Amino acid sequence: MIKEIITSSNSLLHVKDVSVDYWSQDRWVNVIDRISFDIQTGESVGLVGESGCGKTTMLYSMVGYVRPNSRIREGSVLFQGEDLLTQSKSKLQHIRGKLISIVPQNPTTALSPGMRIGKQITETLEAHHWKSEKYNAENYAIELLKMVSLPNPEKILPKYPHQISGGQQQRVLIAMAISCNPKLLLLDEPTTGLDVTTQAQILDLLTELRAVTGMSLLYVTHNLGVVAQICDRIGVMYAGYLVEIATRHTLFRNPSHPYTQGLISAVPRISTPNVKQSLILKGLLNRSELPAGCPFAPRCDFSLPRCMEETQELISIERDHQVACWRWQEIPSFTERISRITSEVPQQSTAEGWNGQRSLLAIENLRAGYITERVGKTYKRTPKDVVEEITLDIRPGETFALVGESGSGKTTVARAVSGLLPYVSGILNIEDRYDLKMSMRKRSDDMLRSVQYIFQNPDASLNPRQRVSLIIGRPLQKFFKLYGEALRQKVIRLLADVHLDASFYDRFPDELSGGERQRIAIARALAAEPKLLLCDEILSALDVSVQANILKLLAELQVERGIAFLFISHDLAIVRSLAHRVGVMYWGLLFETGRVEEVFNPPYHPYTYLLLSAVPEPDPDNVMPTVRMDTGLIVGAKKMTCPFAPRCPVKVGQVCEVDQVPWQRVSQTHQLRCFHSVEQLLFIQEKIA
Amino acid sequence: MDNMTSTGNSTPLPAMPSFRQVIRRVQRLPPTFLIGSVVLIFYLILALTGRYWAPYNATKTGTGPPFSPISAKHWFGTDQLGRDIFSRIVLGTDDVLFLSLSGTLIAMILGVPLGLISGLVRGWFDEVFMRILDVIISIPLLILALLVIAAAGSQLSGNSFLLIGVIAVVYAPRIARMARAVALNLVTSDFVTVARLRGESTLWIILHELAPNATGVILVEFGVRAGYAPILIGSLGFLGFGVRPPTPEWGVMISENRIGIVTSPVTVIAPALALALLVIGLNLFTDGMARILGRSTNQNP
Repeated sequence: MIKEIITSSNSLLHVKDVSVDYWSQDRWVNVIDRISFDIQTGESVGLVGESGCGKTTMLYSMVGYVRPNSRIREGSVLFQGEDLLTQSKSKLQHIRGKLISIVPQNPTTALSPGMRIGKQITETLEAHHWKSEKYNAENYAIELLKMVSLPNPEKILPKYPHQISGGQQQRVLIAMAISCNPKLLLLDEPTTGLDVTTQAQILDLLTELRAVTGMSLLYVTHNLGVVAQICDRIGVMYAGYLVEIATRHTLFRNPSHPYTQGLISAVPRISTPNVKQSLILKGLLNRSELPAGCPFAPRCDFSLPRCMEETQELISIERDHQVACWRWQEIPSFTERISRITSEVPQQSTAEGWNGQRSLLAIENLRAGYITERVGKTYKRTPKDVVEEITLDIRPGETFALVGESGSGKTTVARAVSGLLPYVSGILNIEDRYDLKMSMRKRSDDMLRSVQYIFQNPDASLNPRQRVSLIIGRPLQKFFKLYGEALRQKVIRLLADVHLDASFYDRFPDELSGGERQRIAIARALAAEPKLLLCDEILSALDVSVQANILKLLAELQVERGIAFLFISHDLAIVRSLAHRVGVMYWGLLFETGRVEEVFNPPYHPYTYLLLSAVPEPDPDNVMPTVRMDTGLIVGAKKMTCPFAPRCPVKVGQVCEVDQVPWQRVSQTHQLRCFHSVEQLLFIQEKIA
Repeated sequence: MDNMTSTGNSTPLPAMPSFRQVIRRVQRLPPTFLIGSVVLIFYLILALTGRYWAPYNATKTGTGPPFSPISAKHWFGTDQLGRDIFSRIVLGTDDVLFLSLSGTLIAMILGVPLGLISGLVRGWFDEVFMRILDVIISIPLLILALLVIAAAGSQLSGNSFLLIGVIAVVYAPRIARMARAVALNLVTSDFVTVARLRGESTLWIILHELAPNATGVILVEFGVRAGYAPILIGSLGFLGFGVRPPTPEWGVMISENRIGIVTSPVTVIAPALALALLVIGLNLFTDGMARILGRSTNQNP
């Protein structure tokens, strides 16, 4: 085996053979196995992989930080010629934050909730004995906030973290991280909890900061789109191993490890939505079932007996491209594999012939919200409206997607349909038979049955103390009066429908993986034989490969059973590949509805454009527009008649804030609301692009 | 589970490894649980078998000179009537255990369902119920117990059923509050929402969705309350409102013998220690139990 180690002079950080163990029950379990790579000065390196592959552990181990119950078994991390893993605690303390700093995943928990922002920034400076003749600490903090493009930095300093938005919090953390001019910035999924629009701004900021300061980045994420946009070189991790590392263009054009190939093809894209089938990554990562050899072998389409036994080493296959697979030459190339599957056109329900059909769900002028507190009738407070004037209809067997940033009211619509909200006005009809304005308490069994809700997080929606048999069986008992053997048979059939075998029957949810749990949740919803499934961000808690499998499952189920989906998602690429029609929401209002291809391609409405242009595509050639006209979500602003007006890049003028926004018809199936005429909008978008 | 699979194997396994396995598994249990169990088992043996081997009858006077010191004949000496302290402690164990455990159990049966319902249905019922509980809880424990005894009248004084009732009345509101807090935490979870969307009745939700998730907390609460019940019984006995005098009861003994605390301190210290050890044992056991239950929720299949 040729193992090439590049130790060129401008290598800033050199990671060599780092292995990390966790203490589990009564023995050490290997979580990171001999990972080696290096980061050049000014370079941006990405580490990607599914959850549990050890990417975050790797990041923290590199600065000598280990969790309790874990140890760095071997290896070295050379930073400017010094091994970080053998440094004393006080020396490390000096390096961390000053020369290498970290931006953590969750800004809400990373900032101290009881300390003012300004104090938190100056504290970092003091800890590293920061000195400057030009500024005092407070002025420098303002400078830093200006650097991370926060408007009105003077006003932010005295605020507490909860008073600013999530995107602003992450900017503050980046400001703290760059405060001492570090040579290397480690980022641990810094945009995962944020909206796409906010994410795009943070990515812009990082690119800009890198250009200005010349620091190196190590970006750890599960999002292939993000690394394709901002990283020079990308390493792919699997079960604690680095399986492939290459420059981004090579990696995305010619991924050579079967895992990388599967991962890249599994990511839904906006630009090429017709590739609805991806290379399916079968199974999932379970540490206890890993073979002694290549950890990917059990899931690999090309594995041979030798793979199970022989540990794979990274080998150079071309310049700047290393792969840990001894069969890399025999495996068909990525383009070959992809072309083979795209030729098999999947069966799929089509939007044709729907025009004459009666709608299944009709929502007219829905106004819904929450009653904050209710103590008796006398003290009833006026309800707070979250969504207004929502009008849409869903036909049988159709997928209607609602998209928009968090807080736009997507979930509120679904909750109103399900009857979970106490306050609803407007018309909500299912099949012209049932009035959904009734709260769920008053609904008949048949009505409850026809609308089923699937929640975002299967960990929370499955009772941890109930077996799968009861979870899926209960709706069958309740709605169909099935008991005994008939019930058992039906549950097993439902398990088969979601591609799980009968061995799951007696298990508890905590014995299942995230994807399996979501399948159980889907099976439970299917058990009721619904006509409408409300899917509230059901894929966002799952890994890419699992997402791809569930997407495929949903499409299959829809064809078989003709169930309509109200699909809520912030992931536009998923919506593009799954939905037939889409509704775009902003601040409680519906701005555009239409067939997905009409709405997305090209985008007419300025908000739809902002959303779409913020999606990082997993394609290094398809770069995001760098000039962003988005000012970001405005916190605490007054809601205008067009709530998008203050943020709109092409605002007409005063009318946007005062007059009722008119609906306009683009085609028979496509309509949007804006003061600009459709022709004008098209002209504007063309000019921007 | 492991034993079943190993016996199912075709290769016969000798007894030794399985014994070792047992030892290893016991070693993995939290130490507090082990110590607590040992103490509790010790008390259980005392309670169940004491009457067969206790050296003297608990109420027999004049087994030796009053306030005689520790001797081979009287391990913990004698009291002012010459009764054997050791026998009285041993024979009093079953009463303490019975009263505190059954009292706490009844308090649980009253408090847990009410608390869960209150947390689930909310609204005016919750408001009214909680305010009533607030009023009850605001009365100090011992005073509340004395009030209940006084209300029951003098004929019932010293009756063990009255004592059980007192424990139940005093503990039930506190347990209900705990159960309500558990329910409040659980009702917001998605699986309860799913059950509601399915149109399940309140009773079904409590039995199948809430209760299984609350068992851990409720068991621990039971242990803690049962651990403090002997103190309450002892205090009542000391004040003369508990078990009636000739019956051997640790609190009563401390009270009776307090005149001899200088001349023969062992007569007071011995029952006090017996009480303290029981309370410590119950608390250690509960603490260990909480750890085991907390761990088991995330244990591997």
